[in-house]
Amino acid sequence: MAGGCLLAIAIAAGTWSDAPRPHPPLMLGPYRVLAADFHVHTFPFSGSTLWPWDLVLEARRQGLDAIAITGHDQVLAGQMGRWFSRLVGGPTVLAGEEIHSPGYHLIALGIESTVSWRLKAAAAMDEVHRQGGVAIAAHPLAQFWPAFDAEAMRKLDGAEIVQPIVYSAGNARREFEEFFARRRFTAIGSSDYHGLGPVGLCRTYVFVREASEPGILQALREGHTVVYDGVGAVYGDPALIQLAGSESRLRGSEPSRPEGGFLVPMSRTCGLLGMIGLSLCGFRLRPTA
Amino acid sequence: MLALRRPLLFAFLFGCAVSLFTSGRLTLRLAGPATLYWSFVPLIEIAALAVVCRGKLRSLSLAHAIDLFFAGFAPWLLWLTGLAAIWSWLRPVEAFAWTKPFWLWIAAPAVLAWSCYIDLRFFRSTLESHPGRALLGHRAISWPACLLWFMASSIWPQVASRLGL
Repeated sequence: MAGGCLLAIAIAAGTWSDAPRPHPPLMLGPYRVLAADFHVHTFPFSGSTLWPWDLVLEARRQGLDAIAITGHDQVLAGQMGRWFSRLVGGPTVLAGEEIHSPGYHLIALGIESTVSWRLKAAAAMDEVHRQGGVAIAAHPLAQFWPAFDAEAMRKLDGAEIVQPIVYSAGNARREFEEFFARRRFTAIGSSDYHGLGPVGLCRTYVFVREASEPGILQALREGHTVVYDGVGAVYGDPALIQLAGSESRLRGSEPSRPEGGFLVPMSRTCGLLGMIGLSLCGFRLRPTA
Repeated sequence: MLALRRPLLFAFLFGCAVSLFTSGRLTLRLAGPATLYWSFVPLIEIAALAVVCRGKLRSLSLAHAIDLFFAGFAPWLLWLTGLAAIWSWLRPVEAFAWTKPFWLWIAAPAVLAWSCYIDLRFFRSTLESHPGRALLGHRAISWPACLLWFMASSIWPQVASRLGL
């Protein structure tokens, strides 16, 4: 009973405080600056927890202007998310795919039909480009480097340089930087959202001339991005890094603490206590007699 | 109703955890839909239980068996609550550093062993014979099914390339 009441209080406080954060459009020089997360996954089949429409609403709450829903070896989730976002006036959603080959992982942005994971990296990039999309190396750890031969490196548009994996895998940061140093790529920061943590963590700031799907893809082809790693480093186009330096809103890639005042910690505390209460009262830790 | 009350409560608590993981608060916007679509876990568990218990239950109904079986889910729910606590209270950078080494590689196997023991005792007390076989059968059906629904398209390339398909 007490557990149920705590959960009810938690839901009331959490729902009351659940408003999108204020996010006025940002112009720097001739560019509109968009906060984007180009690597998020949905439920089911791609190992994440939220359906595409819940993800779109969560991205809006996190102040993102654009996301790419990148299903593992499928584009359907991205197309569903794009349809829903257009319906509710949400962020720009790029349909995409994470080509999940055993030898490499490649983000294909702005495509409409699935690119086979059986293709070699360079051939997969050709297909992405044929569809008008952009190819980005997903978490390019050393284990994936053999797949990126000279031809693939020449065709690659961008690479993830900041990703949550740098917080949990010891050598990930060094390997990303080594890969990134091999050629001048478009710098990408992504959350690789699989259900844990906020959407938009390690976001990319894209400097576009037109805030639309084609405008974003064009900016990515031209390398017009800036990425902050949250601990002091910044990657991307040097001129744009300088331009972005004048805007304090862009520093720190980590989404700030949820807004909503005392209601958020209240929701969190009551929610966790309620879950513990109901787990212990409604279920058993010891075997059934 | 007996067959549904604990599975529904389990799905609801799962939905609450999903909301805490992502937004650091419990909001109806996330917990409600997540409860609905994560109810595939209890549904698969019930289906697997029905298969392994078919014709072998010792003087109790399937509804009662489902209720008793789900009663043993406390270890998993506490593990999930712990994960929700990490993700809702710590900064994402700290939470990532904490989750992998401890919560996934140490706490999860411990909970797995604990839940196997609880389920084995359940099958021993409710089935007429072969409780160990029932436990293995239940796991062999429910876990791959849950995994496929959760991440089929991530698994297939790995499986296909290993099998040369």
